[in-house]
Amino acid sequence: MTYYVFTLVFFLFDYFILAMGLNIQYGAAGILNFAYIGFVAIGAYFTGVASLPANTLGQQYILGLGLPFPLNTLIGGLAAMLLSVAVALITLRRLRTDYLAIVLISMSLVLYDFCNNFVSMFNGADGLYNVPEPFAKTLGLSVNSFIPFFACVAGVVALIMWFVMSRVTRAPLGRTFRAVRDDHVVAAALGKDVFRMQLKSMMIGSFYAGIGGGLLIQFGGSFNPTAWLPGETFVVFAVLIVGGAGNNIGMFVGALLVETLLIHLPAFLPEIPGHPGLIEYFDLAVVGIVLMLMLWFRPQGMVPESVRRAASFGASERPDGEADDLELGTPAAPARVAFESGDPQ
Amino acid sequence: MSLFWLSVGFGLVTASVLTIAAIGLSLQFGITNYVNFAYGDFMALGAFFTYVLNNQLLHLNIWIALTLGSLAMGVFAVTVNHFLLAPFARRFPTTHYVLIVTFGLSLIMLNVIYSIWGADVRFYAVPITVAMHIGPLLLTKNQLIVMGIAAALMLGVHTMLRTTRLGKSMRAMSDNTALAMTSGIDTRLITTITWFLSGAMAGLAGTVLAIDEGNLTPASGELFLFVIFAAVILGGIGSIYGAMAGAILIGLATEISAAFINPAYKLDVAFVALIVALLIRPSGLIARPGTT
Amino acid sequence: MSGAGLLGSAQSVSQAVALHCEGITKAFQGVHAVNGAAFEIPQGQITALIGPNGAGKTTVVNVLSGAMKCDAGRAFLGDTEITNWPSYKIARQGLLRTFQLSRELGGLTVLENLLTAPPHQAGDSLVNVLLRPGSIRRQEREHAERALHLLEVYRLYRHRDTRARELSGGQKKLLEMARAVMASPKVLLLDEPMAGVNPALIDLIGDYILDLKRSGVTVLMIEHNLNVVEKICDYVIVLAEGRTLATGRLSELRENTEVVKAYLGEVMDAGAAR
Repeated sequence: MTYYVFTLVFFLFDYFILAMGLNIQYGAAGILNFAYIGFVAIGAYFTGVASLPANTLGQQYILGLGLPFPLNTLIGGLAAMLLSVAVALITLRRLRTDYLAIVLISMSLVLYDFCNNFVSMFNGADGLYNVPEPFAKTLGLSVNSFIPFFACVAGVVALIMWFVMSRVTRAPLGRTFRAVRDDHVVAAALGKDVFRMQLKSMMIGSFYAGIGGGLLIQFGGSFNPTAWLPGETFVVFAVLIVGGAGNNIGMFVGALLVETLLIHLPAFLPEIPGHPGLIEYFDLAVVGIVLMLMLWFRPQGMVPESVRRAASFGASERPDGEADDLELGTPAAPARVAFESGDPQ
Repeated sequence: MSLFWLSVGFGLVTASVLTIAAIGLSLQFGITNYVNFAYGDFMALGAFFTYVLNNQLLHLNIWIALTLGSLAMGVFAVTVNHFLLAPFARRFPTTHYVLIVTFGLSLIMLNVIYSIWGADVRFYAVPITVAMHIGPLLLTKNQLIVMGIAAALMLGVHTMLRTTRLGKSMRAMSDNTALAMTSGIDTRLITTITWFLSGAMAGLAGTVLAIDEGNLTPASGELFLFVIFAAVILGGIGSIYGAMAGAILIGLATEISAAFINPAYKLDVAFVALIVALLIRPSGLIARPGTT
Repeated sequence: MSGAGLLGSAQSVSQAVALHCEGITKAFQGVHAVNGAAFEIPQGQITALIGPNGAGKTTVVNVLSGAMKCDAGRAFLGDTEITNWPSYKIARQGLLRTFQLSRELGGLTVLENLLTAPPHQAGDSLVNVLLRPGSIRRQEREHAERALHLLEVYRLYRHRDTRARELSGGQKKLLEMARAVMASPKVLLLDEPMAGVNPALIDLIGDYILDLKRSGVTVLMIEHNLNVVEKICDYVIVLAEGRTLATGRLSELRENTEVVKAYLGEVMDAGAAR
């Protein structure tokens, strides 16, 4: 029983991380990344090959560094980030939203195809397995005690990553992302390098995808190419939309509602005899329907994007101007505006 | 050398399937100005409609089943547009929402197809035909029929766009929807007709893809989707003639390359072509005005 | 462009030029929107860009601000050639612009709209966000202080925490200007700052523009209303069919050739009809 509960807890934290990464790309910067799961997969694979020893029987892969826990996952995150730079250089400069989405989804399918076929890099369709469980040997954890332990590790990682992400979204950087999303022509007219900003949000988001993927492969000990078909990206989008695009706390709520309740809880239901996989198929269709209902009836999500209030900047408060509503009263001569530069005398 | 000509034959067949699919996708994109990410699943569902008529219910001849299945798919597409996509497109000014909805529709359709027909590989009841030599090419009668369908469709769409009132209205809407509306074109009707044609072509393409590949699974349309995307982007998105040109190029390139490299990578060739096209000429071979 | 410059022979001797362009040409699908436009904008003055609909006024502003690339011609901001630079680089050089139809950053609050504008923000760098939160907080406080003052002046203070998409049309117009001012521009291009607003607001915006001039900002504004032009603008550039038809003071242009007179009459009629 605890095994099931902590499995759910792990997926809650992991998808919280994944959704935060997609949120900085789509929710903040407006990049419709339909290849998100590809970055998760790259993170998972590189974490895997960074932690596996140089040689294991029956598997083919690159690197084989045998690195311990935080380092291997970090390599996964950085690998995903590097891939995002390459993708951004090709796609972000000139493409409108739907072109970008097309190229990204194609890329996701090709990566899938490539990893399936290119056995010497990532072991082909079998995927990686027997990836070491972090700390399991040093702490002497059994199979049963590893699950709760690693769920807690994921919780700590998620907490740190939430702290960092909330700093980014609150900072001028997050505001500039949203400015680019709302109107990139205006953002450019205000001196923002739109491409650089989108590149940054792709990199940050992909790093999160990579870390989330790294935790996934270590939790299960294996990672299989079928886990990253485009449908999986859609699940992360569902988490994001249900939670509330643009809000980090919303990502936690979304992960709880979609990933834990809708995706993983039904997986514990018994199979219907004679219909293998029916529950899973049905379940994914329900996720799609829930997302559409949500988009129609509550597009802002469960926890809508919050704004940063003037009071939070620590600037001096002023009394609300009476002349604010111009339609009332005749306008008086405006007060002199002070400038940082451009004053002739 | 015979391997080369063999793959040219395969290439022509793949190009035919691709052309049918690409015209359907491009036609709808030109009118509604958003991409239908569920198109691959439209293809799969159409193929299964045909399968039901051909193998499960009426045991119709494959070519009759194909016709009826495609028409059913056209009706399905109109329904989906009317109750799902059009409301979203009208309500939200940015295309993000409707793109996510088509993406979600893809997931729903795929899993519904899995729920009904399962993951088993299935086969049409197709009369077995012998291959014959046509010049240096070696083709079966079924493959020739597929190529014939594609050629007829290209010619038909061309004639429709150039000579009929419907075709001219579609071109006007594709150039400028608002202007078309003010000049008295019933844009809703045109949109509905376009969805019907797009859906029917998806169904047709899905079925001939399954005939060409010799089998049918729920996911086959989805994996084929990006090859269609590659063709459409290479040709210039929204341009029907671009879609035809791109489809023929990609179809030939993937199959002919399979004669020289590991055939497992033939899809990656399409992707490389897509990337190169994007880097060199992002607006496509035949650019469509007003879509920068 | 003749060598005489904007001011006629007598006054032009010591007048510095903030922005000038020569031979600007831009065609859309073979139709020339701008065809060899050339003019100089004097430093620290308010210049009006007038002309009939389709004269290419907005296209010129789009080219000068980098929103569009021109097919031929050159543009200079001070001594720096800015021809076909991307718009963010032009903005960083101190040339800011507003849009004819206000383009607010709808999901951001009114205050956040202004806070987006200051150039060279430390907080736009990820490294700073992670490692120097203190200095970002200080800079943000300074910017917020100035932004709130501007909002007070532009009568938007009460709406500081409102999402910009919820503002009224007139308020969006004010926000558009305040946001450009927040970027501390050297040269400000205003694309019809008074289009579609009520008469009281027209006077108010006129005062704001005069105030900008007093602070040393060079202003180029597209304007149809000749009463406004007469009241606040120092110089006028007349654009017709993508070319510079005449430049000078409005009073001088009024006494200019028959063609110009006829043209100004047409604009005045149009202005009166609005």
